[in-house]
Parts: sequence; structure tokens; C-alpha cells
Amino acid sequence: MNRKADVVIIGGGITGCCLAYLLSKKGLDVTVVEKRYLASGATGACGAGIRQQWSTRENALLAIQSVKIFERLSSELGQDIEFRQGGYLIAIHTDNEMEQAERNVAMQRSLGLKVDILEPERLTDVVPILDVKGMKAIGATFCPTDGHANPFKTTFAYADAARKLGATILTHTSVVNLKTTQKAVSGVVTNQGTIRTPVVVNAAGVDAKAIAEMVHIHLPITPFRKEIMATERLEPLFDAMVISFTDGIYFSQQKEGQIVGGIPIPEEHSGFLSTPTFEFLSHMSRTLTRYAPVLRHVNMLRHWTGFYDVTPDARPLLGPVKGPQGFIQCSGFSGHGFMISPMVCQLLAGFIADNKTSEVLETLNLSRFKGKTTDRELSVVG
Amino acid sequence: MRIQSHPILDFQQRKKLAFSFNAQPLVGEQGDTIASALHAAGITTLTHSVRYDSPRGFFCGIGKCSSCLMRVNGIPNVRTCIAPLHEGIRVETQGTYAGLPDAEFQTHSKTTIRVDVLVVGAGPAGLCAAVEAASQGATVLLVDENPSVGGQLIKQTHKFFGSKKERAGTRGIHIATELEGELRGLEQQGHVRVMTEATVIGCYERRAEHHRFGVVQREQYTSYLYDVQCRAAIIACGAMENMVLFPGNDLPGVYGAGAVQTLMNVYGVKPGNRVLMVGAGNVGLIVSYQLLQAGIAVDRVVEAAPIIGGYHVHAAKLRRCGVPIHTSHSIKEVLGDDKVQGAVVVALDEHWRPKPGSEERITCDTICLAVGLTPSTRLLAQIGAHQSFIPEAGGTVAVHDQHMQTSIKGVYVAGDASGIEEASTAMIEGKIAGLAAAVSLGRTKNQKLLSQYHRDLEQLRAGPFGEKPRIAKTKITQLAEVPHARV
Repeated sequence: MNRKADVVIIGGGITGCCLAYLLSKKGLDVTVVEKRYLASGATGACGAGIRQQWSTRENALLAIQSVKIFERLSSELGQDIEFRQGGYLIAIHTDNEMEQAERNVAMQRSLGLKVDILEPERLTDVVPILDVKGMKAIGATFCPTDGHANPFKTTFAYADAARKLGATILTHTSVVNLKTTQKAVSGVVTNQGTIRTPVVVNAAGVDAKAIAEMVHIHLPITPFRKEIMATERLEPLFDAMVISFTDGIYFSQQKEGQIVGGIPIPEEHSGFLSTPTFEFLSHMSRTLTRYAPVLRHVNMLRHWTGFYDVTPDARPLLGPVKGPQGFIQCSGFSGHGFMISPMVCQLLAGFIADNKTSEVLETLNLSRFKGKTTDRELSVVG
Repeated sequence: MRIQSHPILDFQQRKKLAFSFNAQPLVGEQGDTIASALHAAGITTLTHSVRYDSPRGFFCGIGKCSSCLMRVNGIPNVRTCIAPLHEGIRVETQGTYAGLPDAEFQTHSKTTIRVDVLVVGAGPAGLCAAVEAASQGATVLLVDENPSVGGQLIKQTHKFFGSKKERAGTRGIHIATELEGELRGLEQQGHVRVMTEATVIGCYERRAEHHRFGVVQREQYTSYLYDVQCRAAIIACGAMENMVLFPGNDLPGVYGAGAVQTLMNVYGVKPGNRVLMVGAGNVGLIVSYQLLQAGIAVDRVVEAAPIIGGYHVHAAKLRRCGVPIHTSHSIKEVLGDDKVQGAVVVALDEHWRPKPGSEERITCDTICLAVGLTPSTRLLAQIGAHQSFIPEAGGTVAVHDQHMQTSIKGVYVAGDASGIEEASTAMIEGKIAGLAAAVSLGRTKNQKLLSQYHRDLEQLRAGPFGEKPRIAKTKITQLAEVPHARV
């Protein structure tokens, strides 16, 4: 293989494929390098919820703008990505959480988001199977335009659209090294040969840290194993995604009828362990049936793991770094990459193709960790 | 439609069991599954396609596909093809989606079981693995999701070929009984624990000599969760029948040939009155002959390849009974709206493309697909055993060494799950895995016996019909020797 490209994107997950599409649309010659198959990493393992209710302004903005893109994405890409807006119901358990929710809602509303705080007795209007007493909720926030999309179909739709515009997508191809000249990246060495390029986007998810080490850049990313399960298929019971920051649980019902959700196990360790745990089985079934006792005798059909690429403030690492020019970060999504990918990639595409920067890219640059304390994203589940 | 008389099997009057289907009273027999009792009563539509809302019957008959899911006594999504019939149960079809369960279950807290060896699957390979490991002094837990042990041997009424040592000349059903006898003997001595109607739901820890599996056993309204901690595991979970693509392939009446064999030979129920058999490998030929034995007409056997794949002695027997075998022919489509009423068969050219104008309409009520098997490797994939696509093995299989050990130390594979072959070789592979596990755990040092088993296996694979598995196994063991490129 002897190739060249305007941009090489490392990683064929949602951000890699979305960015490939947007850059190809801008007329750039793009190559995606994926070590396994498309959506084989965190994207394919994720719960694929799309939420706009965040505690930091950047995440809320990125998500609100991403939802606008998701709303028209099926028609834009010419494939059904199964985007549905059933809303997100975020349970509130304590007075502290209520105060934080009030602050979040005020900020989210200032950005134009329709979001409400619900009294406890209104929770079952939204999700009838909930047991408000069992889940110990004193209220909830609800945003009806939050939703869900099929992570595989979305990734494949972006990849197909990118290919149609001339992008090259190399699967089962792994990056061995990055080539640099004195100041800038000059190529990507893969197990199938070298690709010459002035721009390398690091969208390798949990492997982004190892990729950056190749050019001696240290990314503060920690891998965390996350577990998720799907039940047998059932009649439609509810539309919203239910989540709780106190319990860490999230669950929603898919179009095909299965309930998909996850929860962190009580003692979670960082690292590249990928085996599912027995502890998850019991912790998830206990908590889920406390929230929705009618699911008591429903079978769990599947249980799998994926990785969160967690940064110190649970916010992504975006844009250029101090180091080789042309080495662009698109990682550290900390478990919420899928839902903000359309907007993040739009900003990155603007930066790469048109040298346009933005407030969000500035805020989420790697340099934020240099001796400063940063705003932490508080609204994290799973 | 029950089989009235049979040259080998005796379906003597079994106890009648009353049950209801969509509120309609029906009667089945002791030993039936729900699906076989419904078939005997002429009910073949068990579910509807979620996407097309078209009627569906079962396809595999052994709990591996999902086209027989029904609501039983308020429990949704029950695999009726392996769920035993009980007196008084309430069977209902589900709508597009299953409703929530409305039965009250008793649940029990988790029980921990510690054994030397966990064997998953009680077919020929798993039975032999369990018997071998236990005879060599290891403690064994054998888990199978069916109500009885024996796997697919329990429907094989034909006499086995091969060597006398591997029970050539004995019918599969009798081999199952013999193996079960050995197993129960070891069970009585406390060396083996047998758990049926139980499913291994996953592997949760894998370290050298310490593996942790979850097992769920469900008996009507009681479910038990076991935390199984073992030093070695032998995965022998068999294979699934392949499907071919043609219009109407999901209509009730289109079955896997193995499913029809189960229905006839295990439950004594006729699948229909006139059958089109697709595929002239050993399964297609043997099941065709067994259909005749059960008093069912076989219109013809069509085979897409230009030659018959199975043993010629089977083909000759069929031809003597007047059943034509058409090579370079295949099925084009099924006729009928709600159930099979016929089929269109077509001749194929040398590139396996249909020859225009060669279509022929035939009348039949059952279509059997005998078009190969795919190894069941999902548990191995979940465990993380390295897999590779080996066409001669029937698909993706776990790479394993000659002692049947996968890339995960202490995890072994045997039988069809390790590459499609036949029951005789599956039994030896099971013995090798069982013995190798016992040796690695220090329960025995019997290397001589291990070498003997390897020689037996080689002998069985000698000859032209052993060529494909020989190629497959050579590829698989060669892959096991090189550390694979981690990508």
C-alpha cells in the first residue's frame, strides 16, 4: 500500500466516520484507518442515548446543536438511523440534586432548550412502569426532545455517505506508528503500509492515548470498563430514557422491544479489562427492578462491555495540541461521544478544512489541564 | 398427525396430557414438547414475523433459532420447541411483541458450585468429555439446556459407520442410552453432577485454572442461579442448521432437516405428508430415508452441487425406494400463502445459476433444508477464545490445539462447535478434551491413552469423506501454533 491523503482519521467509530463525511463534503481526500470493523469499539457497545441535559454549557450546547443535526440526518444521509425522540427523564433523589437540577435547567433553558422539573407524581405520566417510591425519587427533570439513535446504523450511514464522496475507509488496518517531520505530522504507518498526510485526527477512542504516545503527547485518558445489558423483547412500555446520577443507572426501550441499560458495578477499577462481571448481573437486575418492578421476571438476553475514555473533567479533548502540527484530537468523550458527535465533528471539520476555530474548541483543548482547574461535567451516568 | 407404526421406534401409547392453545382445549402426550404437541394437533403457525407479520413455524426444533417463541402460563418468549409439555398448561401465540410476564416466579439466591471441569452441552462430545474427565478422577458439572441428555444422538435412528470401537453398527439412539448409562453411573458415585434445562449464560472470570460461569436453571416457575467456579471448561455446544435464501423460506412447513428428524424420531409426530428435501449430503439422505420409514412420502431430493455429497450407500437405499435425487437442482421458491403448498425447483448451470425455462412446480406440504451446519461458537466468542473463519469447518470456529485447548488456557472445545464433522469424531474429540483437562489438572498422567485417542481420530478421518475435516483441523491446529497477530 502506498497512499496519500489530505487527512487520515484513526478510528472508525461514530466520530471518525462522521468527520470523514464532513471533510469529504468539503472536498478533502480523507482516509479512515480502523483496526477492527466500523463501530467495533465504544460506539457499537454504547447505549446510544442522545441527551441535551448537561451541567456544563459546552456539553449542553454541543448536544442541542447535535440534536438539530440528528433530526435531519436520516434524510441527509439517505439511510434510516432510527432516531427517535422519546425524551430523557433524569431522576432527582436528594435536595442537593434538586438544587443542581435547578441550576442545570436554568442554564439549559437559557440556551433555548425545553426542559421541565417534574413533581414525583408526574413521573409515571412519562414512564408508566416506574415505581417512584422504590426508586426513591423526589422529582425529575424531563426534556422531550432528547432521544436515541441506532449507533451502528448511524456510523454505517456516515461511512457510506463518506465513501460516496470519495473517502477511503480501511478496516482491519491498525496504526503502528506516526511519522513526523521536525514540526508536523507527515504520515501514518499501518500494518498494511504507510499513508502520507499532513493531518492526522486521533479518533481512536480508548486507544487515543496510545496513539498520542507515538508522538510523545500525553493524553489524560483513563479506560473504564462499562457494562450494559439487553432484555428479551417486550411490547412497547415507555418511550423515554430513564437515568439517575445517584444510582448511575440508565435504561430505555429499543424499537425492537428490548430494554437496554447499564449501571456501574460498586467496585469499578480502571484498566483494559473487558470481561463482563457477575456483579453487574445482580446489581443491574436489583436496581432495574427497584425502578420498574414489572420487569421482575423478564429475562436478560445479552450482557456486554465497552470502554469509557474518561478525562479528568469528563469532557472531550478536541483540536490541535502543542507538539506536531496537524495532529488533531477527537477523543476523551468520557461516555457521551455518540450524542455530541455531529456537532463536535462539524466544529473540527471547520477547523481542519477552513482553519475556523470556535469557543468550544478553545475550551476543550488539551491545554486546559495545564495547571488549571476546569469545570467538571457532573451529569454523567453509567 | 402421529406416526402410527415405525420399523425401529415404538411410540406406544403414552400418557395423554390436556392443555390449551389460545383457549382451545387440546391433548398431547407425555414426552412431547409444546411445539411437537401442537404439530400433532395440526397447528404449525407458532409466531409471526415482527417485520412482515407473516406466519412462522419453528425452523431448528432444538432451541437454537427464535421462531417458536410463545407465551406459556403467562411467561413470554418461551422456546416451545424444547419446552416440555405439562398437564394443564396455557399456551398462547404472542402478538408482534410479547407482553410482560404475569406469572409469579419463585426465585432463589445464587448458589456457588466448585468443580474441576465444567462441560457445556450433553451431546456426543460433551457426554464423552464428562465421562472421560470424571473417570480420570476430576469432578465434573455437565450442563445442557434440553430436558434430556444425548444431544442430537437421540434422534439418530440409523446405524453408525466407522470403527467398531466407536460403536459402528449401533444406532445413534442406542449410543445415547449407552453413554447416558456410563454418565449416570459416575453420577451415582458422586463424580459428575448433571444439570438439564439449564443454560450457561456467560463467562465472568478467566484466569489460569480459575474460570467463573453463570448458569441459570429454570423449572416452570422456579429459577436458580448458579455461580460455577471451575478449573477447566469444555465447550461442546454443537451446531445450528443453515438456512438458504429463497422466497417463502420462513413459511410454516419449511424446516431444518434435523428439526424434522427430531419431530419424527423423538416425538413421533409427522411433519407433513409429502416432503421436498433440499440437499443430498448425509443429513439430507438419511432424513429422507427416515421420512419414508415414518410413512411420509418424499417427492424428491434436490442438490445444488453436481454430485451427491453423502455416502452412496444412503443414496442407493433411497433410489431403491423410488425417490429421485436431482443433482444440479435447487429450490427457487415456495408456493403457498400461510403454509407450504408446493415449491418451484429449478436446474442450475455449471456456475450454480438457475437455468431459465427449467422451472418445475411440485406439490408438497413440507420442505426440509439439509444444507449444512454452522458451529455454535457464541459462548467461546464471549469467553474471548481466538476464532478464525475456516470454510471446511463450516464457518468461524475457535482455534484449538490437538488436545482441543483454545487460545484461553483451560478452555477446551469439542464436537461440532470446534468444526462440523460427525458424531463419531465428536465423541473422540470429547474424550481427548476430557482427558487433556484431567491431565492438565494433575488428576491423571495417562499420556498413552491420549495418544491412543489421537490415533483413533486419525483413523476415523482417513479416507475420502474425511478429507474436509482433515483440511479444517490441520488449518485450525496450525493457527493455534503461531501466536496470532493481535490487531
